[in-house]
Amino acid sequence: MKLVPFSYNLRSLFVRKGATTLTVLGIGATVAMLSGVLALEQGFRTIFTESGRERVAVMLRPGAGSEGESAFSRERADVLVKSSPEIAVDDEGRPLASRESYLAVRRFKLDGGETNVSIRGVQTASFDLAGDRLRIIEGRRFTPGSDEVIVGAKLPGRVRDCRVDDVIVLNTTPFRVVGVFEYDGPFGSEIWGDVERLMEALERPGFNRVIAKVKDGVSFEAFAERVADDQQAPAKVLSEREYLTAQTTMLSITLKLLGNFLAVIMGIAAVFTATNTMLSVIEARTQEIGILKSIGFRPLSIFASFLLESLILGLAGGAVGAVLTLPLNGIETGTTNFATFTEIAFAFRVTPEVLTTAISFALILGLLGGAWPAWRASRMNPVEALRRH
Amino acid sequence: MAGALPLRLVFKNLFRHPVRSALTAASLTVAFFLLCTLQSLVVTLDAGVEDAKSDRLVVQSAVSLYVILPESYDAKIRSVEGVEGTCRWTWFGGYYQNPSNFFAQFATSEQTLFSIYPELSIVEGSAERFMSDRSSCLVGEELAAVYRWKVGDTVPLIGTIFPRTDGSTWNFRIAGIYRSSAASVDNRTMFFHHEYLSKSLEDGAANGPDGVGVYVVKVKDGADVQSVMSRIDGLFAKGPQRVQTTTEAEFQAQFVSMVGNIPFFVSSIGMAVFFAILLAVLNTMLMAAREQTHDAGILKALGFGGRTVFLVLMLQSLALSVVGGGLGVLAAVGSSAGIRHALGSMFPLYEVTTETTVAGLIGAVVLGLVAGLVPALRLGRLSCVAALRLEK
Amino acid sequence: MISLRHVTKRYWRGGQHLTVLDELDLEVRDGEFCALMGPSGSGKSTLLNLVGGLDYPDSGEVCVAGEFISDIPDSALASWRAETVGFVFQAFNLIPVLSALENLELPLLLAPLGRRQRREHALHALELVGLADRAHHRPSQLSGGQEQRVAIARAVVTDPALILADEPTGDLDRDSADQVLDILARLNREIGKTVVMVTHDALAARRAGRVVHLDKGKLADRPPENGE
Repeated sequence: MKLVPFSYNLRSLFVRKGATTLTVLGIGATVAMLSGVLALEQGFRTIFTESGRERVAVMLRPGAGSEGESAFSRERADVLVKSSPEIAVDDEGRPLASRESYLAVRRFKLDGGETNVSIRGVQTASFDLAGDRLRIIEGRRFTPGSDEVIVGAKLPGRVRDCRVDDVIVLNTTPFRVVGVFEYDGPFGSEIWGDVERLMEALERPGFNRVIAKVKDGVSFEAFAERVADDQQAPAKVLSEREYLTAQTTMLSITLKLLGNFLAVIMGIAAVFTATNTMLSVIEARTQEIGILKSIGFRPLSIFASFLLESLILGLAGGAVGAVLTLPLNGIETGTTNFATFTEIAFAFRVTPEVLTTAISFALILGLLGGAWPAWRASRMNPVEALRRH
Repeated sequence: MAGALPLRLVFKNLFRHPVRSALTAASLTVAFFLLCTLQSLVVTLDAGVEDAKSDRLVVQSAVSLYVILPESYDAKIRSVEGVEGTCRWTWFGGYYQNPSNFFAQFATSEQTLFSIYPELSIVEGSAERFMSDRSSCLVGEELAAVYRWKVGDTVPLIGTIFPRTDGSTWNFRIAGIYRSSAASVDNRTMFFHHEYLSKSLEDGAANGPDGVGVYVVKVKDGADVQSVMSRIDGLFAKGPQRVQTTTEAEFQAQFVSMVGNIPFFVSSIGMAVFFAILLAVLNTMLMAAREQTHDAGILKALGFGGRTVFLVLMLQSLALSVVGGGLGVLAAVGSSAGIRHALGSMFPLYEVTTETTVAGLIGAVVLGLVAGLVPALRLGRLSCVAALRLEK
Repeated sequence: MISLRHVTKRYWRGGQHLTVLDELDLEVRDGEFCALMGPSGSGKSTLLNLVGGLDYPDSGEVCVAGEFISDIPDSALASWRAETVGFVFQAFNLIPVLSALENLELPLLLAPLGRRQRREHALHALELVGLADRAHHRPSQLSGGQEQRVAIARAVVTDPALILADEPTGDLDRDSADQVLDILARLNREIGKTVVMVTHDALAARRAGRVVHLDKGKLADRPPENGE
């Protein structure tokens, strides 16, 4: 089968610069919208799911869905830690486990309005469990037993009273900010302090959760199963990754749904625009189609040629969309985690997957937009095509 | 006279390429449907703020949304000068059958609920029955419709914050179905006796934090709201739990503020949608202008002015945008009940307001004007000789 | 009716000035049927455009029906055209989306007429060219000759004093051309319209009362007016 020379398509697109540009930009805007939402979802997922530590167990009260709902009395938490041989120990034989309290407290944003900030009471083991993931970038760690806190690096730029030496009043107790820490995960938007001091200041009745490192070689599932049925201190055990994933499933699904919804709706509009452009291309080139057919090009060649032209439009649109999305990469933003009403800061991430999805989507738009016009062109009667004009 | 408008020409030109016009209008329809729906979501967030009553105050913990207040505060607040009554609201956070069946449940003061919230009325069952039956509940009209509940049914809930000690479900008998006439309370909530929750915790039948989420305070007629607020705050300034008393409107607004960047995201998306659809219509109008260049030359030779030529194209752009966009707005209005249903308890107040409808239509007109402007101006300014020569 | 004095028109083509009309003088009296002949590029169509107020001269004056149209601004010239001139083009130039009748009603929108009057005038003009039975056909459904007759009807429907025809028979076969020329001649003879017709065709020119020859932007020859 003889194919219509590719240069015809390029020339045709170039001759109709206006329509080509508008169609490409229209597809580009649609693609940018989709990839923007996907980049948001990626950024969100990176900070939650992918930052979850595989060998760290999160223990909650049975039935609780999140640490906010969960509660352990002192005795229960102690029993849980001491009676679990699955928990790894440090060099001095102490279990690598930390009892934590958690509360979303009301704070004021720098730009006005209120937000909720997670405040976490931790024991020193929490730092051991975090390892290099937690880095103090300014000041120092809080002194155990004192009214001091450290704040996640995402906070000072968003929330009031979060710089070193500021004072945060919790209920009636003032806490001094002594350091700023970075954490590659959701903790980067939290405030950490001594668990005993925070529980007292905030009048918390007990711990919210226990986290622990699980010994190498111990099966997570077996551990979870045993603790779930424990008589003295039953608990729900999840790996941190599972826990974080569960916390953000709703938001992740919502974002994906939103992205798909937008993509479908605006995709329809983009397909129609591409169809319009291709119809006008075909009308303008009717005579040319007549000539091509009369000198022996097959309908399939004509079909392929116009479809190719439409695909080029789609590809160019995809490229424009990708270029429009790229500057978003790394931009910090925040969104509300509806599970806790806390604001989580994270960055858009324009990953190769996002770009691949964007370009594929653009090609599909081009394909859908071009199919019918190309089919019409291929079915044109050469005699009539030549007679027109 | 040079302004006489060949309306028939406008009309016939719209049908010169019926497929193109239909596709453009259809693009506009989906885009405006999307724009109105997105806008409605944002507006819905504010609905509670706008309908808030000025004689109701909310007393909540100054520390955290998740910190509850002691029950002993109730009597202390009631004794404050200017306070007529209080109503407790405690978030129960249970689920029905499985965790995805989310709806709001509150433990509340059954005796004062109706006097403090006059917007509530009972459409089935009775308020008396609710008050007299300790373990009964009230459900909103829409909530009852979703789960096909009737008065007399028992609703088993699994407590997450307040699990029952024996692992069983909480069982609430439906004593009545209410309807709310204001956005301050939605029609998808369940209310039950706060006393029942407190007793269950006391008896050890259930676990969970003992206390009250927020106290809603009704201010006496004529009392100064600001001073009532500061009197209540002052009462607990030294603890054990500091409180923050706000008007109902401020309380609702605080949630809107906590929603964070979402309205910003939504408007960014809206801008992108508007921009994309503008390009689509502009594309169509440029094609139309190219085809009608020769007609424009003829019109000018016949003695029509540039203004007429401009208007012939501009009106086509406007007609396309208003018809296409208008259908989209209509679709958004028409589907609003369905969307509210689909969104469930996430946006119980979802509604396409008149303002949104009008804004949508204005948006369509503006889009038509902007998309038509450049092609129509170009055509209007083209000299007759050039237009006739440029043809084909 | 028409009086041109020292009219010069230049175009900018391919990087140099091209003088299309060069200090041209021309008079056409009321009621004349005048044919303009000359080779391609001699400036015939340009002359017609100037007389019809579609274009301005670079210098000189153009006076048509008592108005110095070279001094009227473009916006006002449109109304002047609507009242004074009817055009007939080689390519017919009907609006493709409108029916024959609607094409005729179009210029009437510029006259102070009601809807019914417009329809009556348009039908009357169609009768005049013998196409009343084609009123609801669109241009693509008519033959070339018929299209041109509709175009002539459109040119006279507003009752202008002057009809300007640019190669009206250029795209037509002999029979259709004759029909078109018959109509133009009748309009001139019976209703007293002044007709200026650009043509290549000697047979067509013969129908005119007067033939003017153009060459390189100047009147090449002034044949004596015959007494007929």
